[in-house]
Amino acid sequence: MQRGSFSHKNYGYSHHDQKGPSQAIDVHDIFVKKSKTRVILSYVGIFVFLANACYSLLVKEELSTSSFWSIFVGVLFAKCLQYKPVKKESVVIMPTFGVQLETHFWSGRVIHRFVPIGKILRPVLNECVTPVTCYWSLALMLRGEENLLLIFQELQPPVKMLVPVWKALCAATNGKEISSS
Amino acid sequence: MDERRRHRILMVSDFFYPNFGGVENHIYYLSQCLLKLGHKVVVMTHAYGKRSGIRYMTGGLKVYYVPWRPFIMQNTLPTFYLTLPIIRNIIVRERITVVHGHQAFSTLCHEALMHARTMGYKVVFTDHSLYGFADVGSIHMNKVLQFTLADVDQAICVSHTSKENTVLRSGILPEKVFVIPNAVDTAMFTPAPNRLSCDEIVIVVISRLVYRKGADLLVEVIPEVCRLFSNVRFIVGGDGPKRVRLEEMREKYSLQDRVDMLGAVPHAQVRSVLISGHIFLNSSLTEAFCIAILEAASCGLLTVSTRVGGVPEVLPDDMIVLAEPAPGDMVWAIRKAISMLPSIDPHVMHLRMKSLYSWHDVAKRTEIVYDHALQSSEKNLLQHLPRYLKCGTWAGKLFCLVMIVNFLLLHLLELWQPVESIEEVPDMLLVQHQDEEIEHDFSEARKKS
Repeated sequence: MQRGSFSHKNYGYSHHDQKGPSQAIDVHDIFVKKSKTRVILSYVGIFVFLANACYSLLVKEELSTSSFWSIFVGVLFAKCLQYKPVKKESVVIMPTFGVQLETHFWSGRVIHRFVPIGKILRPVLNECVTPVTCYWSLALMLRGEENLLLIFQELQPPVKMLVPVWKALCAATNGKEISSS
Repeated sequence: MDERRRHRILMVSDFFYPNFGGVENHIYYLSQCLLKLGHKVVVMTHAYGKRSGIRYMTGGLKVYYVPWRPFIMQNTLPTFYLTLPIIRNIIVRERITVVHGHQAFSTLCHEALMHARTMGYKVVFTDHSLYGFADVGSIHMNKVLQFTLADVDQAICVSHTSKENTVLRSGILPEKVFVIPNAVDTAMFTPAPNRLSCDEIVIVVISRLVYRKGADLLVEVIPEVCRLFSNVRFIVGGDGPKRVRLEEMREKYSLQDRVDMLGAVPHAQVRSVLISGHIFLNSSLTEAFCIAILEAASCGLLTVSTRVGGVPEVLPDDMIVLAEPAPGDMVWAIRKAISMLPSIDPHVMHLRMKSLYSWHDVAKRTEIVYDHALQSSEKNLLQHLPRYLKCGTWAGKLFCLVMIVNFLLLHLLELWQPVESIEEVPDMLLVQHQDEEIEHDFSEARKKS
């Protein structure tokens, strides 16, 4: 059952329920919108790299430092223009059981990570500062571990998409605390 | 407080906690008092070691430790334009109205004021130190200051002497400069509960042992005073390159039992060192204000100081004995101070200091400066460019060029990352049910965007 969805620039958010064995399972998805511009740019990047490589190998008689250098630059250019291989990242909240973090790639590969509800101390919204910008991230504080676990490992969604996920995680962890006390 | 008068201030400086010093304490105390008055204050500084990112201090004071490495004397590497993205980001996300820079020696402050001015925000600058005019370092520093103050809305100096010095160095109009002296936390610096006996007189010195703070004068004065007065003892706290000279003086005159060298004294322990003495000795060769004398007076000590810079403006005549920065004159001043000691009551002195100096008063006066800054004209950067041309024949044109390039880079940045894409931060309210309040703020922010 679809509970809500909205989109913002490159990212889209959707929230729906699934029927579980005893309780409803909450699923929050953040997916990358496929943008034609980025696809075209990535093909341009690959084309430039291939043209560069062919020119260096076929037209020039011997491979010199400049041809290696131009191939290297071509590789970098193609790499920069490539869009991220991530299709979507999901958070599946199973109350009283745990939270599953999933990363889906365009190639079809999926990475799962399960965190039992007892291991979660608290979900936190962090403000991160880099030398050029500031952004928000959602992370889990885990019992017995020093490092925070990032919920969205690859994507950097805007804070208005992180807030409903954070609220749902808080409700799930608080509910467990109330039931265990 | 109505929204119209509530300011959202960004304090910028290279010098902040976890460093301890005059500028650092000034920014911290001023921010706390402004928060109490209902304004929003955010501090921006560079990262200190592993202390990087966003931290919250007492009262909800938000501090951005931006991960730029300091390169010399705690200053960020001056990159001119590379700090534009992060400064613009912080100003937009916190919805800042006034940018307040501290200390002429801070490169981050100058860059932040330059970028804030390019973006059209109101800027205020506070100068905390006196500088010379003749040596190469001062000449360059003064040129940089001239550039920053060419287009600042208001400036603040900590004493009238400092105002004169700043106006001469930078060419800013005197009408734009306000004088707001520093203050002292009298709740922290209280006198000893029991009065010390006057059989043995203890003279306390706490300062960095460097040339600027007159450590060489101390080397001359201490043996002379010990020779003239057999019941006088010295306690010297602080560290620095001149410590070796003081240790040598101790050895030469065999004063090990009469001069205690404590080494660097952490700020939290300064009061306990001060209350063990009767007289505080300050031998600085230059000083814009000198908070150390305020701390000593608040603890009930009689002060002996050199008559330099803004020192004569700090304390009333019955709390301080001034001398020229020459050993003979200073010894005479100490003699006079020792004779004045029986008439000094530390608790009365402390109560007087409480009424004379308070950070709340400084915050109220600073608020007036912000109000003046916001009333100044709303011209855009291009109309302000002629002000930079007055800085010099070649320098003026160079400064104009720097600002024009900054303006163009700002517009490029606005294409790359428009203002709408920078998410505004909800104000952190310190209440018991923090989660509900934060959720409320976020949903309000979502509705607005």
